Amino acid sequence: MISAAGAQLVLLSSLASASDAAAVRLNVPVEWIVFAPLLAALLCGILALRTGDARARYSGAICVAGIGLAFLTSVAIAASVGYGFAHETVFEWIRFDRLRADFAFFLDPLTSIMLLVVTGIGTLVAVYASEYMRGDRGYARFFAFVSLFIVAMTTLVLADNLILMYLGWEGVGLCSYLLIGFYYEKPAAVAAAKKAFIVNRIGDLGFALGICLTYLQFGSVEFAVIFEQVEALRTSGAEIPTAIEAIPFLLMLGAFGKSAQLPLYVWLPDAMEGPTPVSALIHAATMVTAGVYLIARTLPLFLLSEYALPTVAWVGCLTAVFAATIGMAQYDIKRIFAYSTVSQLGYMFMGLGVLSSVGATFHLFTHAFFKAALFLGCGAVMHGFAGQLDLRRLSGLGRVPGWQIVTGSMLVACLALAGFPLTSGFFSKDMILAEAFVTAGPGYRAIGWIGLLTAGLTAYYTFRVFFRVFLGPVHFTAGEEHHGGHGHHFHPHAPGAAINVVLIVLGAGAIFAGWAGVGGGHHGWFGSMVHHSTAAYEAPAGAAHGGFFSNPHQWMMLASSVVGLLGIGVAAYLHLYNRAAAERLRRSILPVAVLAGHKWCVDEGYDLLVRRPLRFIGHVCYSLGDTLIINGLVALGGAVPRLIGAAVRPMQNGRLQGYGLGMAGGLATVIIIVWVML
Amino acid sequence: MLLTLLLIPILTAFAVILRPARQAALIATIGSTAAFAWSMLVWRAFDFGDSAAMQVTASWTWIEPLGLRLSLGVDSIALLLVMLTAALTPLAILGSWTAITQRVREFYLWMLILEAAMLGVFVARDLLVFYIAFEFTLIPMYFLIAVYGSTNRARASIVFFLYTFTGSILTLVGLLYVAWAHWDQYGRWTFDIAALTATAASMSAAQQAWVLLALCCGFAVKVPLFPVHTWLPLAHTEAPTAGSVILAAVLLKLGTYGLYRFAMPMCPAAFHEYAPLIAVLCIVGIIYGALVCWVQRDMKRLIAYSSVSHLGFCVLGLAAINAAGVGGSVMYMINHGLSTGALFLCVGMVYERFHTRSLDELGGLARRMPVWTAFTIFFVLSSVGLPGLNGFVGEFLTFFGAFTSGQPVQGLPTGGPLGPWYGAIAATGMILAAIYLLYFAGHLVFGAYHLPDTSHAGHDDHAHVRLPRDLCMREIAVLAPLALLCFWLGVQPGAILSRIEQPVSEIVTHVNAAADRSMLITAIDESEDR
Amino acid sequence: MTEPLSILALNHYLLLSAVLFVIGFIGFLTRRNLIIMFLCTELMFQAAAIAMIAFGAYHGNVQGQVFLIFILTIAAAEAALALALVVMLYRRRPTLDAEKWSELKG
Repeated sequence: MISAAGAQLVLLSSLASASDAAAVRLNVPVEWIVFAPLLAALLCGILALRTGDARARYSGAICVAGIGLAFLTSVAIAASVGYGFAHETVFEWIRFDRLRADFAFFLDPLTSIMLLVVTGIGTLVAVYASEYMRGDRGYARFFAFVSLFIVAMTTLVLADNLILMYLGWEGVGLCSYLLIGFYYEKPAAVAAAKKAFIVNRIGDLGFALGICLTYLQFGSVEFAVIFEQVEALRTSGAEIPTAIEAIPFLLMLGAFGKSAQLPLYVWLPDAMEGPTPVSALIHAATMVTAGVYLIARTLPLFLLSEYALPTVAWVGCLTAVFAATIGMAQYDIKRIFAYSTVSQLGYMFMGLGVLSSVGATFHLFTHAFFKAALFLGCGAVMHGFAGQLDLRRLSGLGRVPGWQIVTGSMLVACLALAGFPLTSGFFSKDMILAEAFVTAGPGYRAIGWIGLLTAGLTAYYTFRVFFRVFLGPVHFTAGEEHHGGHGHHFHPHAPGAAINVVLIVLGAGAIFAGWAGVGGGHHGWFGSMVHHSTAAYEAPAGAAHGGFFSNPHQWMMLASSVVGLLGIGVAAYLHLYNRAAAERLRRSILPVAVLAGHKWCVDEGYDLLVRRPLRFIGHVCYSLGDTLIINGLVALGGAVPRLIGAAVRPMQNGRLQGYGLGMAGGLATVIIIVWVML
Repeated sequence: MLLTLLLIPILTAFAVILRPARQAALIATIGSTAAFAWSMLVWRAFDFGDSAAMQVTASWTWIEPLGLRLSLGVDSIALLLVMLTAALTPLAILGSWTAITQRVREFYLWMLILEAAMLGVFVARDLLVFYIAFEFTLIPMYFLIAVYGSTNRARASIVFFLYTFTGSILTLVGLLYVAWAHWDQYGRWTFDIAALTATAASMSAAQQAWVLLALCCGFAVKVPLFPVHTWLPLAHTEAPTAGSVILAAVLLKLGTYGLYRFAMPMCPAAFHEYAPLIAVLCIVGIIYGALVCWVQRDMKRLIAYSSVSHLGFCVLGLAAINAAGVGGSVMYMINHGLSTGALFLCVGMVYERFHTRSLDELGGLARRMPVWTAFTIFFVLSSVGLPGLNGFVGEFLTFFGAFTSGQPVQGLPTGGPLGPWYGAIAATGMILAAIYLLYFAGHLVFGAYHLPDTSHAGHDDHAHVRLPRDLCMREIAVLAPLALLCFWLGVQPGAILSRIEQPVSEIVTHVNAAADRSMLITAIDESEDR
Repeated sequence: MTEPLSILALNHYLLLSAVLFVIGFIGFLTRRNLIIMFLCTELMFQAAAIAMIAFGAYHGNVQGQVFLIFILTIAAAEAALALALVVMLYRRRPTLDAEKWSELKG
């Protein structure tokens, strides 16, 4: 058995000093990963501001070129870094007193993986969007924001210190804000954008405080220096101060905000107001995994505390099952996949918590493919059916001409999400669940069982969508964006080449990405990559095999296949063969279904408990505090001289002689006083 | 050299009243730009290798028996504020070309006089020169509000004048007490700031506390700190755009600069002792101001309250008395000047077009005014403290300073009277800032496009100049330099940080050492009593 | 510089000054014509000036004379200003009775 506290950190001792000879010398200009999309963002931004400029139609191509260049550079970087690490300073940023935060990059295999995911999926989504967004008034604006997002996200991933990471962190939050609110004339979109930014800020507060505390304890915010000291602290065996144990909890808060975990998950489902390519790129594949990346990157800090990782595991586990229950009761297919994203992110945190950083990052990697495919498939449906997303109003699309590729890639992606054997989601999910059963920790066994249950729920709701929308009798109604008027027969608009190609690539990824991690644990390509990064740890030799069967991974593959197939089977019965039965079932548990449909009323609760009281205090401060009390006191202060003035005013009657007498009287008084005193 | 800097706006002011009214705007713009160019020369002449020392000095005898001298000079922090003033005044003037249609010459006259007075505050090395300039800023500002303000301008101008004047009279008392103490000790009068600072710093802790109280009365009103902030929303709301810009960007900084230049070095022991109290006021102000912002319906008042919240951060950094805090505070002064000044300009441009400040009457401007929207969102983000823009560096450093103040870093003790809790609670202001500024942006920029009822808006602006719906080139020329500066300072904050490191570390050492000394004296006294 | 004034001579000058001042003062209080009242204030001015110059001579320094010159200058300026005001008032309403102008109290 591996115990959370007993796991040993493997850190390349040479990692601490960047200038060390062990560092890989990069022969690729790494800053282009950031600068190429930045250039694209600037160009698209200028085009967006020039209303009526016909060149705006090139902005899709500009964006694809920018992100594509970043992807190519990332590939070269990944090859060049290999299993080593590198450090590159681009320019000096904040240097004050003893605080140092440069615009500098830290590259290790974990960085390479993230870079490939971000720029790879980014390129695909940009290609997809160049068709999807065509005809939109904000075409150039969209690509400006997407490029900017890639800039921020790659900065986040590449950062060599916590403050620069915070820059990327807030930057992706900003782009998320701008893109969720892309259709700014829709009040729902504006509200959702605001909500996303503010909820994220709550998490960011934790992150920022974590940075401060890290500086206090380690005297630096640079990863290399921090990890070196963590290593020294661990080897010295000295007692770990409470303040250091608090650091992971603060960072965790940031991660939970960005990655939409309990209790800060509420923004992500609403974020679906943004254009669908954005949902795929930002709110499924890349940005929301930043929290997972943060914990994986700072895993050494988390290992210092006895309670940090179990907390992460439990939060992840509860979020996974909670979001899955909501997802089961939704009708909007995009929202279902949004809750599914929350749920899958829960798995990743679970993986980190049960000390399977390989499993967590591997799930991050595979999830990026199949979830992007799912969202882009949804987007194709939305695009073709004038914004229709209600699964009750769509059926049998698989048999509509021109939709075969979409259906095929959706099937593959759904299978991967459901954990169907030999698809990518299957391998990564099993890695996490198996680890939950073998790692010793508070209630980790229970986490494993809940995870397994959630896998079943996931399979159910995923195929609920697939069976409803793509199979069954053909019938559909157009969404709100259809302006053909009544009487006209609605013709769905089948996706074009760009969309289909992207879906094929992602569908292939959803199947084959899993093979990158075959071998499990620290074997296989993926395992070795993570093993050589800061997220590595080493299980005490020989302790890994002691639980259920001789090999927990094989057992888990079997168990989860059964659970997954069970979920798919239930969905097939209720939503393909006997849709009436589903309705009967729903009616028999109506209160629960309605409550789950209303997302367990969490949003309303937050509104009542947080937003309203704060606004009320604001009103009280303004009308009572400022207007009444402070201004009242000020007015009182002003009234005193006025009253004195009113009292002596009659003396000034305008008669010159009277004034003269007054002067004489005053003079006389002074003289008498002087006389008497002398 | 500095005297020339002061004379350029004054001479331009004369030129403005001597020439016909239609040339006034142009002359004022050229003159204030010339002052900015001259300030660049001062910047060139300044040796940043020794940035804590007073440089570019000049001194003339004024009233010999009283030791009054007209002596000028700047350290790097004062120089930065001089640059801020000189850079913003031309932009504010350029921004009011079409907004001011009546009493044009007087308007530019007062703007230029105001510039000279503000520059005078930052370049003074003599106490009375400082104080005269400090008070003289009130007069032009009073007229700018009272003559060119909107409906409630009479009350606003009087409240503004009396509020700040009452405060600064007490400041004068404190400063004169220090001058008297110097006379008492050395038998001659002097108003040299450096000499008086040395005298004041050697006073007993109790005396310092009284001086601190007197100084804070004036400076806290000017900043403004909670609970003496209520003049600010009123003045900001009623002032014309250019007035609001200067008020937010520079006049508020007179308060923080006063705290930095006088309160901290003159009463170091007392400042150290009472810093927690000041910090608590700041934190209350940060949260209070932010919450009040959130319920405003008037966009100018909203931004005014946001200044209350932001300046809370600024003074919190000073109260942290460590390098990060004080440095962050100086950075914050510059950043707040740029981003809030720019926000007032943006809001003013909308006001000029639609003649309303109410968030209820406007909405969805993004659709018709994309360029304006881009600028506004940019400055909102800078104000929220988005990393990569200027606001972040100052905000992060101040609350980082408050957090780390007095805490051992890696076991090594550092100075400062605050602690993590101050930083943690102040940081909630970051969340609230996001809430109210996005509320502002959400209402004004996004949402459905709607404008005030135009049926009666037409006839109250007789001499109104026609403006295009979106920004014209002149307005872009006003905002673009600010945007570039905001971006540049966000990416290269070292341009400022490296230049203020020396004076900041000097004052931090000074205050902390004095506090240690004072504590030692108290301890010795106590042991002698026993 | 001639001999300083003796104490006896000083007393004479001061007496003259006091008499002038009292005459001026009584005149100011009793007369109602604005011009007469104004002339009476001038009288008080000159009384003060004589006292100044006498003390100056008594102490043997020039400060008394300096003040005299100041007073003369200011009195001249003031006379010009005050008489101009009186003319303005007279144009507005043909009376110079101080009582009649009491609404100017402000």
